[in-house]
Amino acid sequence: MDLTLFGLTDIVLSLKVTSLANFFAILISISFVMVMFLMPKYKLSKSFYALLALLTASLFLIVYAADYLLFFIGWEVMSISTYFLLSFTLSKKALYKYIIFAMASALSLFIAILMLYSTNHSFLYVDAKESFSAMSSVMSIAFIGFMLFAIFIKLGTIGFHYWLVDAYEESQNLFTPFLSGVVSKMGVYALMLFVINVTQPALVLAVMGVMTSVIATFKAIQEDSVKRLLAYSSIAQLGYIVTVLGVADGMGGALYHSLIHTAVKLLLFINVAGIIYVTRREKFSQLGGLLHRMPQSFVLLLIGIIALAGMPPLGGFASKFMIYTTLLDAKYLLILSAVMFSSASAFLYVYKLIYGIYLGHPTNKKLESVKEVPLSFLIPQYILSVMLIVIGTFPALVIPYFNSIMKESNLNSIVFENSATLVSSYAQYNGLVVMGAFIVVFALVLLFFVSVGSKTKEAKDRFDIAFCGEVPNEATHLHYGAGMGKELKRVGFIATILKNSSSTFYNFLAKQTEELSQILRKIYSGNLSLNFNIAIIFILILFWWSVK
Amino acid sequence: MIFIDLFLMLLVAYVVGFLYYGLYRNITARFQRRFGPPVWQSFADSIKFFLKEDSTSHGWMFYLGPIIMTSGAIMTLFFIPFFSTGDSFLGLSAYGNLFLVLYLMVLGPLGNALGVGAGGNPFGAMGITRGLTRLFAMELPFYIAVIAIMSLSGSADIATIASEQVTLNAFAYPLLFIAALISFVGMMGQSPFDVVGAPVEVYSGPASEFSGKFLALLMSQSAIFTFAKLVLMVHLFLGGASGFLELLLKTFILFIVVISFGAIYGRFKTPQSVDFLLKVPTTIAVVGLILATWN
Repeated sequence: MDLTLFGLTDIVLSLKVTSLANFFAILISISFVMVMFLMPKYKLSKSFYALLALLTASLFLIVYAADYLLFFIGWEVMSISTYFLLSFTLSKKALYKYIIFAMASALSLFIAILMLYSTNHSFLYVDAKESFSAMSSVMSIAFIGFMLFAIFIKLGTIGFHYWLVDAYEESQNLFTPFLSGVVSKMGVYALMLFVINVTQPALVLAVMGVMTSVIATFKAIQEDSVKRLLAYSSIAQLGYIVTVLGVADGMGGALYHSLIHTAVKLLLFINVAGIIYVTRREKFSQLGGLLHRMPQSFVLLLIGIIALAGMPPLGGFASKFMIYTTLLDAKYLLILSAVMFSSASAFLYVYKLIYGIYLGHPTNKKLESVKEVPLSFLIPQYILSVMLIVIGTFPALVIPYFNSIMKESNLNSIVFENSATLVSSYAQYNGLVVMGAFIVVFALVLLFFVSVGSKTKEAKDRFDIAFCGEVPNEATHLHYGAGMGKELKRVGFIATILKNSSSTFYNFLAKQTEELSQILRKIYSGNLSLNFNIAIIFILILFWWSVK
Repeated sequence: MIFIDLFLMLLVAYVVGFLYYGLYRNITARFQRRFGPPVWQSFADSIKFFLKEDSTSHGWMFYLGPIIMTSGAIMTLFFIPFFSTGDSFLGLSAYGNLFLVLYLMVLGPLGNALGVGAGGNPFGAMGITRGLTRLFAMELPFYIAVIAIMSLSGSADIATIASEQVTLNAFAYPLLFIAALISFVGMMGQSPFDVVGAPVEVYSGPASEFSGKFLALLMSQSAIFTFAKLVLMVHLFLGGASGFLELLLKTFILFIVVISFGAIYGRFKTPQSVDFLLKVPTTIAVVGLILATWN
């Protein structure tokens, strides 16, 4: 579809259906449907729904745009409608942070797009490579810088994540799954477009991505707020995608991880939304011991964290495997080590997530009388869990679809044998065998354990534990949830990471800007005659410059 | 056929694992100028624990914890071939790879962590936190070494890595081996990285709430898991094995080295061990990786 804008014949707005666009459109649709299940439980104003619809429309505009101008329009509508959606619940400070970063991202994107246009007079993706190669070297570096700045803000890459954590924490619980599931994926989509259509700043992406995943993981471990922990986890997971996009054949891993991350984060945020809906508490220090109150939610969260941690029988391992073998194939060995390190550190925060909410002891009497979350929270989680289990069992099921994206983008396709075997140049694994073996082994061990020896006794109550020879009671502090990860502060290397937050940098930046404006204020003092003189001098300079 | 193969693998791992554990207790005793218990004492203990009448459970998740852990250990064993040549005792290794094994190794402990958490003992949860904190520090040098080996062998298949070694990887890339060995000492639960499961620390460790049958199952899985880890290490750095004699010899030498560390060194606190692991072996591993792959 071609649209001519206001009679400007050289600017053509066009939409195009590609496999890549379809992939992201599917992610958007899944997320929207999942979030829709929650809507009956939240009494929100009509304008909220209108804005959510507008946001979704803008996301579709972004993915189906075939040129950067339309893409930018979508991007801008997305940022603004997100702003209004966030404004329902966000504090003033968090909202300021969001809008400043969103606008910086949009402006930077616009500058980059105009730079691209200036060389070849075309906004189209298909002409982007040509326009880029026509740039001078300084200009191309500036272009990459502006483009990545815009994308990194949306992704929340470390250093650019300042707005993200607060926005996720304070946003409406109905909206957070959507925010993490797809709105952040638009950054991934933009980055993929950039890598496919323009250029691949390989090492920048790999290093930024891996730094993001390591630092954000450690930040996540420290958090007491459930949603903040998940927000940092979201940043870290997107870090993997950025890392793998820094590799020549990284598209497959990036697509796979986008899919898994969308499913997992929808599942986890919906689960947490359910917990907050029922208990009205959102801190680890106020939760705990909900296992016997809500066993279904527990199992669903368990499936979510197994996939998040990338544990074998579920879908999370498939995408991790793709990412690892791609990095190994590209000989990014130290970066691969760091990615695996961050992945191993993630076990700590996923355990904190499940322990802090469901295991241990209830930190409050009220938690002992709560009921299972309503069905509208459980249905989407069940759907997503089934999806993760199916992907885990048949990890190559999605590969033919990815290959059609590869083909359209002129990238190397992924080897496909059968839907249960995920193949890479270094190794392969069979998801069906892994899943089947695990189920059989688990069943046999269970059978053995039940049949051997005498029957086990159930404890009398939750205080019937080995407790240094004493008997704990209601007053004893038995929940360890909020304390998890405190030991890390005593490790020099990690404490340094945790202490230096990006807020220090941005506060410094704000102070410098203020001082700079003080100097400007001396020149631009508000005195009319001075202003007139400056204007005359400026015009004279312009005149002299144009004559020369 | 494959089921007989798997059953035999399990049996070998179970017997050898308990034998090694008995030898560990004996050898450590000699280091401390004691005689130590008979070699099969641990095995007898585990059988006795299985028959104990008094084992308390704390709900279904607690009950499943040790079972998941055992399944994790058995799965790890099944995906590591015993021999790098021939076609018996290969288990399911044709369907998996090294990345899968590295993740399966963590599956069991994480499953058990859920059981410990459900048990409601704060000391148990504290032990789990210590374990997971130590875990990532321990994994980093090991991962670096393993990644270097994978890249050099051009494969993530364990049998291929084992059989491709002309000079044993331990001698061809000594720095990588040293780094991996330091991590391996921690993985085997030996000093100085044994704060999680050390006998005197058991009250604030993951096992604190498990009694009777549960403890017996945890002991059995530990025996199986120990053997699986030793076999993996032999494949990665010591050229694998082509027969049982070679396999037992190599695993035993490695085992002796590892437990000697345990007998000699004192115990680090968790932050100390994280600090040490992130500094010394990680640096050695990075240098080793750069030297090995530089060209």
